[in-house]
Amino acid sequence: MSGRDVVLAAVRRATRTGVEHPGPHPAPPLPADFASFAATLAVAGGEAHGPFARASLADAVLAQARGWAAGGRIVVEPSALTLLGVTSIEISAPDAAPHSFADVAVAIARGSVGVAENGAVAVTGGDAPHRSLLLLAERVILLLDVANLVGDLHSAIRALPDSAWRAQLTFISGPSKTADIEQTLVHGAHGPRALAVFAYRD
Amino acid sequence: MLRAKRDAAVAQVPDFEALRTRAAAIKDHTLDQLGHYLERFEKKARANGVVVHWAPDARALCEIVETLLRERGIRRVVKSKSMLTEECGLNPWLEARGIDVVDTDLGERIVQLEGEAPSHIIVPAIHRTRAEVGALFHRHMGSPAGEDDPERLMAHARVDLRARFLAADAGITGANFAIAETGSLVIVTNEGNADLGTSLPPLHIACLGIEKLVPNVDDVAVFLRLLARSATGQPISVYTSFLSAPRAGGELHVVLVDNGRSALLASESHRSALRCIRCGACLNTCPVYRRAGGHAYGVPVAGPIGAVLAPAIVATAAARSLPYASSLCGSCTAVCPVRIDLHEQLLAWRREAPALPASMWRGARVAAFVMARPRLYRVATRIARMLWPLLARPFAGNPATPWLAARALPEHPGASFAERWRATRGAQR
Repeated sequence: MSGRDVVLAAVRRATRTGVEHPGPHPAPPLPADFASFAATLAVAGGEAHGPFARASLADAVLAQARGWAAGGRIVVEPSALTLLGVTSIEISAPDAAPHSFADVAVAIARGSVGVAENGAVAVTGGDAPHRSLLLLAERVILLLDVANLVGDLHSAIRALPDSAWRAQLTFISGPSKTADIEQTLVHGAHGPRALAVFAYRD
Repeated sequence: MLRAKRDAAVAQVPDFEALRTRAAAIKDHTLDQLGHYLERFEKKARANGVVVHWAPDARALCEIVETLLRERGIRRVVKSKSMLTEECGLNPWLEARGIDVVDTDLGERIVQLEGEAPSHIIVPAIHRTRAEVGALFHRHMGSPAGEDDPERLMAHARVDLRARFLAADAGITGANFAIAETGSLVIVTNEGNADLGTSLPPLHIACLGIEKLVPNVDDVAVFLRLLARSATGQPISVYTSFLSAPRAGGELHVVLVDNGRSALLASESHRSALRCIRCGACLNTCPVYRRAGGHAYGVPVAGPIGAVLAPAIVATAAARSLPYASSLCGSCTAVCPVRIDLHEQLLAWRREAPALPASMWRGARVAAFVMARPRLYRVATRIARMLWPLLARPFAGNPATPWLAARALPEHPGASFAERWRATRGAQR
């Protein structure tokens, strides 16, 4: 018998039938406004700016990126480039190796959905095809349409496109962190030391 | 401290108790139909280009992982936290075969370099002081002697581990959930180590227990809203990644592990222990864990849930004695996000596990005889006080109790309570 047969046979012997699935959880009455989102993200160590009009988004984002990068490498994913409409910064090449972002100072990508109850932004494979970019970069900027802000995680997961479940999808809430030494909080564990969300109105 | 943060986070969620109830019901349903959901997950994952393996026990898991690495000539592996691989002894297995396995969660890296086991599910090095970590990093990472600032120590570890992430040929992770509907793995970290370890190396191997299945993406939101709040008091962890396919040009292998879980599933009284999502809330609130620490349990998962799982999964005599090391206060049951009746489970194991060893029964009978006779009791305690200095220091083979092989008794005050009472407050009357 294969390992598969052994495990499945043992599981089938052990299970009974008739425990129903309780159905979906009703969305809780939680606020979905930008101020709540910004406050929760701040507790997680991130910063939220905006909401900006589309016309002024690029200037605000580039000022932050250049200030953070201090002459270092800035890389933008195509999803964000469309929003920023600038040509003066490096665009991630479609076939770039994941290791090629090891020296990036600031990475910029679009987020799909923001969650007010936990300050997280969902970044899909379509938003950021290079997963390693948003982890290797010293600092990360995510762009979020305030129309895509929801109150709770149930609503966020329902709002994502089906394609999100065929590649990778990450909810990011603040900079990477650890409290493994005497439970003292430190930002910038293995990933980014800082994270900013720039919200905009279309 | 973690317990207080949990309570503050829970108070901000209006539907927390309803979430707990629904989470328990979803797990009970999934466990009841586990064969169906495992096969559904396998089918979807395969369609996404994922290779699925099945391991009936710990040894099978180790062999599957070893073979995957050996076939590709891989020597350098980065690993993120997985209690399952601790349970199955994967690190020592691979290290004995010449593979360099680096734990990348900061706490796990600390205990790995110290050569010891994690003492907490989510804070593995909670028993180590900053000075000890500083000395360790000085020896292994070249940080300055005497450095004990957590932020600067993390900076040294970041540089050291970043190089290992970039050089690794494979990443091994656990998984918090596996979604049957989509064939996705859900992996949660604050440090981002699992994400780096799965986005850089060309090979990703995820090892998970068969109880990690959930039916669909809606269900996973229920668990994610409970998990971080119960664990650290955060509304969500920094990185919650859903991986449904291998990275471009890479491979993703999933190993589904039984290792005693189907036996728990077959037990009416212990099945609900498989609802556990490994948040650590029961450890943080447990009066026994908080005093004794994780290493006192001597099994991979400490605390109330560890004492419930160990008799089935570790199944040694020491593991079967763990349900006795509890006051049954029920604080664990009160905080469990998936409503496992932990203290009832401990009690159930006491009923099912073999009774106390004969030597302890004899000791208890002698004690009962002496305590019922006040004059004999006074003589006996006087003798005990004379022997105290001989037995109080730790030495192997201490006849008083095996505990004293590694622990010292507190200093004796030199008189019995009755004597001190007569000499002080009793005399004032």
